[in-house]
Amino acid sequence: MIPGLHLTRIGREAFLLEPSRSLNIRDEARLVEHIAGKLQQAKASCLYYDLAELALIDPVYYAWLSALARTMAAINVRMICIHMQPTAAFSLSGFIAGNPPFETALDIPDVHFTGSPV
Amino acid sequence: MNQKLSEKLSALFSLKIGNISPLLEEPGKIHFGSDSNLMDDDEIADLSAEFLSLMVELLGSKNPDDRKSLEFHALEMFFASLSHKILMRGGRVEEVVRYTQFLQYALIEALEKDSGILFTESRSVLHYFTSIFNELIMAVFRAYLEERERVLEAQEAELRETATPITEIWDGVLTLPIIGTLDSSRTMLVMEALLNRVAKDHADVVVMDLTGVQNIDSQVSHHLIQIVRAVQLMGSSAIITGIQPEIARALISLNIDLSGVTTRASLSDGLKEAFRRLGIQVSHKAS
Repeated sequence: MIPGLHLTRIGREAFLLEPSRSLNIRDEARLVEHIAGKLQQAKASCLYYDLAELALIDPVYYAWLSALARTMAAINVRMICIHMQPTAAFSLSGFIAGNPPFETALDIPDVHFTGSPV
Repeated sequence: MNQKLSEKLSALFSLKIGNISPLLEEPGKIHFGSDSNLMDDDEIADLSAEFLSLMVELLGSKNPDDRKSLEFHALEMFFASLSHKILMRGGRVEEVVRYTQFLQYALIEALEKDSGILFTESRSVLHYFTSIFNELIMAVFRAYLEERERVLEAQEAELRETATPITEIWDGVLTLPIIGTLDSSRTMLVMEALLNRVAKDHADVVVMDLTGVQNIDSQVSHHLIQIVRAVQLMGSSAIITGIQPEIARALISLNIDLSGVTTRASLSDGLKEAFRRLGIQVSHKAS
């Protein structure tokens, strides 16, 4: 169990990651390994990263999201950021040049909802 | 405050100055009545009576020279409220200032008549009234500035509304026609309103129509691209329509990268593209 990290299965191959304020993104390597391990074990193909609680995305947080997204791509898992807040979208759009290494969506498609915590 | 002045003011206070109320109505009639039609005669009479009663309170107070006394504050509030009232009725601040000055002359003249003292020979009393009325004129100006500020804020709020006419034209499809000049502050307003609306309505597609935009500069074009990127980051897609040839040329000369941006010639083409993305088909009714 890693503090601040809530990973929930929400369908056969999809997982929802809900980070809370206590998530220590400085511990990037351990977090990435833990998440990738869980997803591989469950044969997941899609990870929804919930940004609903995040009012601002700064370069440090973006670096964490990018690192996780690249790792997910390496294990053939799509990473989709959902519920990005207007303030976070505004701050992020101000400093990134091209497309981010993750996909974005307004919400989780209904087909995924049958979740149980991992 | 010196003892002599205090005594003189007390002596004035002891006069039956209620008699002078009609004399003080004259400045009100000149500035707010007759042609300007800002107040009727009854209102002017009430105004003069209220002013006189407040002045009597001040002159009869413990220290009539104390600018922090409740009596002086009440007098200031009287002029501030008068200023608000006149401005709300379409009058000008100059009229209130001139009225205040005339009121001062009328008061002095009326007191001179009533007391038989020539204030030109009593400089301290004259000085006292001048300084009091100067402060009251300041209160009029402060009220005027407050009112102007309130009007400006209301106008800004109205402008914000009209500058960002975002409409949900279909379930999940927002349109934003932009008309006029896009400057940086307006672009930021558009961005704030649009992103909040995307979040609120869970909009899948946003169509921004620039047909009415004639000019664009480097900073604004970067902001526009930032709006598109922010909309995409929130999980929606953005379509820009109606880019005029001059705007297109300006964007290219400014090295703006439009590769990640979907553009269409007209708003109707943009809507068709939005519907296509949502799997909506609009067709003529079979006859």
